[in-house]
Amino acid sequence: MHELALAQRTVELMTQTATANGGGRIVSARLLLGELSCVQPETLAFAFDAASRGTCAEGCRLDIVRIPAKLRCLACGAVRGGDLLEMCPGCGRVGCDVLEGRELRLESVDLEEDTCPKAGGKP
Amino acid sequence: MTEISVERNLLDEDARIAAENREKFRRARVYALNLMSGPGAGKTTLLESTIERLRGRIRLAVIAGDIETRRDADRLARRGAPVVQINTRGDCHLDARRIAGALKEMNLAALDMVIVENVGNLVCPAEFDLGEHDKAMILSVAEGHDKPAKYPLMFREARAMVVNKIDLLPYTNFDVEAAVADARTLNPNLEVFRLSARTGDGLDGWLTWLDARLRSVRA
Repeated sequence: MHELALAQRTVELMTQTATANGGGRIVSARLLLGELSCVQPETLAFAFDAASRGTCAEGCRLDIVRIPAKLRCLACGAVRGGDLLEMCPGCGRVGCDVLEGRELRLESVDLEEDTCPKAGGKP
Repeated sequence: MTEISVERNLLDEDARIAAENREKFRRARVYALNLMSGPGAGKTTLLESTIERLRGRIRLAVIAGDIETRRDADRLARRGAPVVQINTRGDCHLDARRIAGALKEMNLAALDMVIVENVGNLVCPAEFDLGEHDKAMILSVAEGHDKPAKYPLMFREARAMVVNKIDLLPYTNFDVEAAVADARTLNPNLEVFRLSARTGDGLDGWLTWLDARLRSVRA
């Protein structure tokens, strides 16, 4: 259950972003979540609701975008999706590098200016 | 309303603190290892044996993470190693900030090695960089050989895997070769040690590896 810790990090980044842009309320945000990260999107959304209470991100709509795994075969270099332990459809070997799919990233937020007196406060 | 591009990793601040911890270890020429496993795989028992065997040769301290209690810290302190206990009060993993707090209570200049005993959990600790040199993990033969396939991230992140409780192999259907093969598929350079922390069987390979890792950060 490290979703709560990640939700707290998300709120911290949102608070910093609001402060750096003159204050206001974060009304929506896009969060990139790789499929290979060990994070449940539903649990993260639930934890975010709790962690954002009393901050400038309270009530923010969180759009969680899942990023599919992008793997490169260690043997032949072919790029594919799927599972870490699956055979490469090209050469039949297992073992790969992870190119994408581990993202835990706040991409963008929508800021409504100057409607939240608490903006910039600590979460 | 304005759309603002943020483009920051949720763990950016953790990465910054982890880098500070790493720098502290580097300056003190202390080797730092993050030891992870599921609950009950034998982290504390392996550390007890490790402390005993390194005593007088390598000055080792432990940072023990648990959700509650000082039990592990008390067990390890009885073996004569300095121990800092961190109770996470619900968090399922240690993070760089907690390690930074523990380092304030430690005199790194008087140490050669710090082993962090992470919270028992095969999932979450793998996501968090503490500033350690290496991650190592334990898989015990009481857990089932399908764990690498089920929890791939931790097996990918680890530099070494201890297959523990090999004294119990006659009583389980654990397939060591299958577990090691899956783990090495996920992580081709993974070092593997088969041992029993309780009986001491196979412990020499693990201790030799720790020695070599310590020498490598001092080279």
